Amino acid sequence: MSSHIVIVDLEISNLASVLQALRQIGAPPHAFATAQNIEFADAILLPGVGAFGDGMGSLRQKQLIDPIKRAAGRGTPIFGICLGMQLLAEHSEEFGSHEGLGLIKGEVVRLRPSEPEFRVPNIGWCDVEAVRPSVFFPNSAAGCYYHVHSYHLVPKDRAVAVGIIDYAGSQHVVALDTGNLFGVQFHPEKSQDDGLRVLANFFAALPHMQRPS
Amino acid sequence: MARPRLIPVLLLKHGVLVRSQAFRTHQVIGNPMSTVKRLSDWNVDELILLDISAGDFHDLRRDDIQQRYQGTGALDVLREVSKVCFMPLTFGGRISTLEDIQQRLAAGADKVVVNTAAVENPQFIRAASNRYGAQCVVVSIDALRRNDGRYEVYAGSGKRPTGLDPVSWAQEAAQLGAGEIFLNSVDRDGAATGYDIDLVRSITKAVNIPVIACGGVGCYNDFIPGITEGGASAVAAANIFHFFEHSYPRAKQICIDAGLPMRPVQLDSPWQRREPTYDRILEDSRIDERLRRAATMDYVAAASRPDQNAIRWCTRCVYPSISAAPMEFDEQGVCMGCRMAETKAGIPSDEWKQRKELLRDILEKYRCKDGSRHDVVIAVSGGKDSWFQTHVIKEEFGLNPLLVTYDGNNWTDVGWRNLVRMRETFGCDHVLVRPSVKTITKLNRLAFVIMGDMNWHAHVGITTAPVQVAAEKKIPLVIWGEHGYLDLSGQFSMYDFPEMSYRDRLEHFARGYEWNYFVGREGLTSQDMSIWKYPSDQKIFDIDLRGLYLGNYVFWEANQHSKMIIEQYGFEISDVAFDRTYRRMSNLDDMHENGVHDYLKYIKFGYGRCTDHACKDVRAGLMSREYAIELVRKMDHVKPSDLKRWLAYAGMTEDEFDRIADTFRDPRVWRMSKNNWVKDEPWPAANGPNHNGSHDQVST
Repeated sequence: MSSHIVIVDLEISNLASVLQALRQIGAPPHAFATAQNIEFADAILLPGVGAFGDGMGSLRQKQLIDPIKRAAGRGTPIFGICLGMQLLAEHSEEFGSHEGLGLIKGEVVRLRPSEPEFRVPNIGWCDVEAVRPSVFFPNSAAGCYYHVHSYHLVPKDRAVAVGIIDYAGSQHVVALDTGNLFGVQFHPEKSQDDGLRVLANFFAALPHMQRPS
Repeated sequence: MARPRLIPVLLLKHGVLVRSQAFRTHQVIGNPMSTVKRLSDWNVDELILLDISAGDFHDLRRDDIQQRYQGTGALDVLREVSKVCFMPLTFGGRISTLEDIQQRLAAGADKVVVNTAAVENPQFIRAASNRYGAQCVVVSIDALRRNDGRYEVYAGSGKRPTGLDPVSWAQEAAQLGAGEIFLNSVDRDGAATGYDIDLVRSITKAVNIPVIACGGVGCYNDFIPGITEGGASAVAAANIFHFFEHSYPRAKQICIDAGLPMRPVQLDSPWQRREPTYDRILEDSRIDERLRRAATMDYVAAASRPDQNAIRWCTRCVYPSISAAPMEFDEQGVCMGCRMAETKAGIPSDEWKQRKELLRDILEKYRCKDGSRHDVVIAVSGGKDSWFQTHVIKEEFGLNPLLVTYDGNNWTDVGWRNLVRMRETFGCDHVLVRPSVKTITKLNRLAFVIMGDMNWHAHVGITTAPVQVAAEKKIPLVIWGEHGYLDLSGQFSMYDFPEMSYRDRLEHFARGYEWNYFVGREGLTSQDMSIWKYPSDQKIFDIDLRGLYLGNYVFWEANQHSKMIIEQYGFEISDVAFDRTYRRMSNLDDMHENGVHDYLKYIKFGYGRCTDHACKDVRAGLMSREYAIELVRKMDHVKPSDLKRWLAYAGMTEDEFDRIADTFRDPRVWRMSKNNWVKDEPWPAANGPNHNGSHDQVST
């Protein structure tokens, strides 16, 4: 049986690019998330570009916050991309102070490089180091991915991290995989072969993940 | 830290990609789709697409190609392009409102470039950045180095001085919320003299957002100082990526070898095939629709009311704007073919000597040192150019070439005699690649119906067989004659030294129809199409396989060459005149090339081989424009006698042929008036017979 994927349309994301990448790798069929269909989803994809406050605002307006939290509680796999990964956190300091979905303990804070040659936003291709085998990097081999961000998620429990980049002398978490929660800070849909592989790995692993009862 | 990026920039003008010089001269490279697809094959870091159109006029030039897209604007191009872009895509040009940005992001852009609108209203940067995020807003700065050494920002596509200093403008833009600066040097555009490093450094020092350097790259090594000395986060260029096979991976390899920590080169992606994937149902329906129109004589052009201004003609030669060749005109209405001929004529003999030395260096580099292979492959058809090429390579440079010929089974008697005599005359080994006549016959028939040209097999066979042989035998250099479109339509400059490429082959020779398009039609299998399969990217990259056009290094004038090879080697020219051109020394290898193939060009675009040849001779100063017009009026419309052979060969009646051919008439050129096909021309009227037994009316 094929999986039933729902995609959250935040209306501030680069959804077309994500859908094109899913088509390219032959991902399972999907529908846009509603408060209703999230109940039956085998996985929830949460792509996003833009400001944290706007992202949460969009979820609130679509009345998706509680359904997503309940799905997370049931064990439905949730995969956040870029802003989508940040939204999994408890809190963000982007343009004020905003509450997140609170699924991952941690905060989203601004990049504050100590060295001047590190520019903000961090735009470009960064090597990701796989810190342990994960859904995204099953062989502990990561790759090079396209990043565009001025903020980053700092999880309380570093053990959730599966991919890190070295940014201005400190290690920033850019991929996480814990229980049924997954996230990447970079843009797999814009990271050529390496990025398409991350997406393909996720969907290949999906049938083996715990399903909601 | 982020790896330094290498970014190709594509300039889109009225629907086609162009090469640019000093922001003013534009030459048509081709359809955007095939180039973007190619860049995607090459795993590029990012792509910047700039729409430099003046107004909404949009013209893809020819509609018999497979690569097409829905719609008629730059946004439609963007939508289509984003489908094959698994890398960041930045789009710029004609953006002045937040709605403009919204539209472009919705059409698939990840970032937008703003320039003139930001200069006119700096707060626009803040508004855009607040709404879409700084990472989305790239501020483009076109800077010109003035004679006094100071720099000034130019707006309006590099045409209008603004009085702004680039450094303070960059700082202001960064403060207002720009995420990146795209820095272009106006005076270095197309100059191929390298980046203006002082300019780049002054900006990278002044701001702490990433800076993309652009303008002036003439060789792969020019990218390196943009980063090491200029301090840029990314280095970009436009023209150079159009000139050579694997330009992007080669440039990147050179940067990596120089120690720059760029992303590694990757070819032959497991996710995307280089060969296009066709929507079989859609393609079948297109073919069915064409056959239906042919059967019911329901021609698109018949109902058309061509716009009087739809076609332009060069004011110097007789070339039209709606053509099979990628053509562009300058502000004086002179075509790029004439302009490049002018450039070529102005090249002093000293420079030709230097060019020859340049060629000598390349040939020496690729010459076989250990006797394990031939030195080079020469692609030969047995025609005048083949003899001249072989003369130059064998006699002047003393190399031992392997001659490779695609045998399309359309030889004239004279052409065949010339071909088989080459190995005797020049003492060279000669490989003939000879596909099954049964397969060729099928391809003749299919390609005529699909694209209005039976000679697809020949165009693609000629551009594939020599490369295939070279790749198999690991001979890293293939020698071609002239770059056809550089000469005919000024597609490139004489200083670009363009080389053969898969993109050129697929777009211009195959018109977007790759070998796999034919599989499953008339029972053709993948195996049947082996001769038309191009070697893989990795194979080409690994042996550094290049294809040079001799015309870039050696002065090329067909009439002079013919005279020389006739006198020196006894090359035979046609003893009977062709129907459709006054020249007797061209296309002897293929009776249909000057015949029914070319007649179809006339049916489609309203001009033929006589126009091509007359334009070349006008440019070479061998005839006046008035004389050329006489010849064109006499010959362009003639229905050729080789049609009989082709009809028998393909098993088609003349009526079927005419009807299918008429479905290809370009509605911008043709209209139906009292059951006659009529077209407008800028010169006085003349009549000629057309194939319906009536007459093509030509009015002014």
